Amino acid sequence: MKKTAILVRNVKKIFSTAKGRVLALDRINLEIKPGELFIILGPSGCGKSTLLNIIAGLEEPTEGEIFFGDKVVFSDKKHLSLEPFERDVAMVFQSYALYPHMTVYQNMAFPLKNLKYKKKKIREQVIKIAQMLRIETLLERKPAELSGGQRQRVAIGRALVRTPQVLLMDEPLSNLDAQLRAEMRVELKVLIKDLGITTIYVTHDQTEAMTLGDRIAILKEGVLQQTGSPDELFYCPKNTFVAGFIGTPSMNFLSAEIIKSIKKPNITIGIRPQDIEIRPPNKGIINAFVKLVEKIGDKYLVHVDYRKQKIIIETSNFSKEKEVSLFWPKEKMHFFDKNGERIESVEIRFSFV
Amino acid sequence: MEIRFHKRITTAYIFVSPLLLIIFLFILVPILGTCINSFFQDIPYLPKKFVGMRNYLILIKNPDFWDALKFTIFFTLASVSLETILGISFALLLKERFPGRGILRTMLLIPWAIPTVISARIWQLIYNYNYGLLNYLLQGLGFSDKINWLGTPQSAFWALVLADVWKTTPFMAIIILTGLQAIPEDIYKQAKVDGARFIKRFFFITLPLLRPALIVALIFRTADSLRIFDLVYVLTGGGPAGATRTISVLGFQYYTSADFGLGAAVSSLTFLIVFGFSLLYIRLWGIKKL
Amino acid sequence: MSERRIKSIFIVTGSIFLFLFIITPIFWMMLISFSKNISFLTGGTYQFSFSNYITILTSKSLHMMDYLKNSLIVASITSPIVLIISSFSAYAITRINFAGRRIIPLLVLSISIFPQISIVGYLYRWMGNFGWINSYVALVLPYLAWTSPLALWILLSYFSQIPKELDSAALIDGAKRPKILFRIILPLATPGVLSGLLLVFIACFNEFLFALMLTSDYRAQTISVGISLFQGLHGEIPWGELMAASFFVTFPLILLTLVFQRFIIEGLTTGAIKE
Repeated sequence: MKKTAILVRNVKKIFSTAKGRVLALDRINLEIKPGELFIILGPSGCGKSTLLNIIAGLEEPTEGEIFFGDKVVFSDKKHLSLEPFERDVAMVFQSYALYPHMTVYQNMAFPLKNLKYKKKKIREQVIKIAQMLRIETLLERKPAELSGGQRQRVAIGRALVRTPQVLLMDEPLSNLDAQLRAEMRVELKVLIKDLGITTIYVTHDQTEAMTLGDRIAILKEGVLQQTGSPDELFYCPKNTFVAGFIGTPSMNFLSAEIIKSIKKPNITIGIRPQDIEIRPPNKGIINAFVKLVEKIGDKYLVHVDYRKQKIIIETSNFSKEKEVSLFWPKEKMHFFDKNGERIESVEIRFSFV
Repeated sequence: MEIRFHKRITTAYIFVSPLLLIIFLFILVPILGTCINSFFQDIPYLPKKFVGMRNYLILIKNPDFWDALKFTIFFTLASVSLETILGISFALLLKERFPGRGILRTMLLIPWAIPTVISARIWQLIYNYNYGLLNYLLQGLGFSDKINWLGTPQSAFWALVLADVWKTTPFMAIIILTGLQAIPEDIYKQAKVDGARFIKRFFFITLPLLRPALIVALIFRTADSLRIFDLVYVLTGGGPAGATRTISVLGFQYYTSADFGLGAAVSSLTFLIVFGFSLLYIRLWGIKKL
Repeated sequence: MSERRIKSIFIVTGSIFLFLFIITPIFWMMLISFSKNISFLTGGTYQFSFSNYITILTSKSLHMMDYLKNSLIVASITSPIVLIISSFSAYAITRINFAGRRIIPLLVLSISIFPQISIVGYLYRWMGNFGWINSYVALVLPYLAWTSPLALWILLSYFSQIPKELDSAALIDGAKRPKILFRIILPLATPGVLSGLLLVFIACFNEFLFALMLTSDYRAQTISVGISLFQGLHGEIPWGELMAASFFVTFPLILLTLVFQRFIIEGLTTGAIKE
């Protein structure tokens, strides 16, 4: 399969709605490497599906340029906008969008028919992809007769049958139940990596993103927050949004002040639940009251209250104390300024408020 | 504006153009043409002559026109009210579960399926002095006098109304039944628990919730009644002596026997009346969706 | 009396009334059609006979079969054409974002309120100029326009229920719009298409005024004109034959309606209730 790099440059999308103009995407810049499994992650309404549709060619940006390799796929300057089909992309939809009245075979053959392949070649290709996805026994069935997981494979099969240069996936796993989702996650990753197609995968589930992606771009309300590998996002989040979005349970945030000068700027300190150690009172950095303890499997989630702020700690041992103190290593602290932007700290002296 | 905008729009317009063309040519242009023709005098064997508003002035001064208008309006009022009341009654009946309901519901479609002119001739027979069902029943019940149902303006009016109601009540009943079935049963249960008796439930729950469907049905049915032609022409021919002429029938008679221009004038007025009424209706009942 | 009791009485009387209300004219039509002569009503005995039917089916001068043939031909030509034209429009309206998307359905809907008398006069002159009076063309063309609101409305409600994502998937798969319409949308909207075909077909049979004015003799006149003008050969209306002709036409129509009633009701009501 071909490996294509994707370049999204200064893409902006404005919608004119009844309530006025909405900025759905604000100067998005992405560089996706050939063969990369690239994730676009964000909460509902952040614009990730719009961005995917734009890359697919189903919608057009208001401004910007998009390149697949050297080929210009969209350019407002050059007044060029290729149809989806001309871009050689394939897409897997959240609802699969399988043609209900056609058999699995016909669904998968449809793109090839439009490419005017000969019947024999179509048959070969469909069977080959079907075998790869282990659905070759389902070829004569209709979508309604299949389970959710099977339908999803058919959707993927229909996408792959064309050996596209770009594969787009719009929350393909969100309609599956939790267990199936976990299984398919692994299968998908293996499949995509084997085939080596450049893939853009959209999701709101950060666990999915962190386990699947080579690199992740986090989107919030149309603005790109941070792009990087899962480790970069986890260990060096650029702002409080990214910090709070990545990782389960999410990072704790505490208000603090810098004891520096008369100004005493406010900052936010972030510390992950897994990095906090519970100690008897007065043996740690701060004292807190235990409000609630949840046990999940063999782990405890301890909810404490500190100066009216909630902190969650994840730990393997906990005995039922009411008052505790919390301790964490200095390096595990994240500092954010009053706007939520990351502060690279050498040494910051602060006090909690 | 997007780059592929023109392509998208062009495709859309190509897709809708056959429909728009057909409607333009065979509906819009004729209406316009009729309107234009109404300003001309057009009598057989004489050249067509422009006469401005004269046809309209003639109509305004002609009692035939006002009679036809009055008749049409009264007919509409009577017919639509009756078919609505009957339609609601039938719908309420068919909402209940009882043996034979399915058959009755199916039977409801029969009057609707019969072409209007055929039903007109059947009713013509039913009302017939010598061979009609009604007089036959009267005689069987012991009355010695037969009634000339279609012979007097009063009875002809009601004869027409009955025939129209027979034909159109099923349509009303089906629409209302569908609307009734869309009302969740829970609301009624709640109302019963709250102690509301049937009449109260009907006026405070059923009717308000039926309102949207009823309004749409009423607009169509009223417009249909105002422009009615088929039933009247075949059943009474506008008689006796023009007493049951609706405005459409009047227009037709002018077209075929007198001045084509006059017919066009009546037709244009008919259009204005029906259309104007519909707009009024929409304004009055405020259909927000539209 | 308890509410339940009242309800039972209402159901029984209501059912009887409804039954009689609908059946009586039909029954009378059938009774007279199968009677040898109508004089049994004025004192005489009823004789069951097929003679009326034989007369109308075989008598060439009555032209009943011609009228029927004309109606069938006109209805059969109009239905598929108007459905195809309307599907293209319904597709564009439900799937493409363009200026007319909202106006066109309203415009077409408003046409169903227009009085036929306001249209037919001009059509008569116009068709006359082309020499089309008393031809199938004279009927099919106006019928296409006249039945289009019906077809469009049904198709709109069925098309709008088909997810737009299917179109997106098909566009990505390389299909062009017409192909999407015929290979994906129409197969999925088959019940709607069938309802539309049926309702338009019945509407063509039902239509009267256009046929009355735009045709002049048995070569093109439809059954609705034929039956409405049926005066018999000697002055007094031959009720037996008239009723036979009526029943002969209505029987298949009723059968058609009963068999396809679900489609018909869906087609009629989806539009009304939704709006």
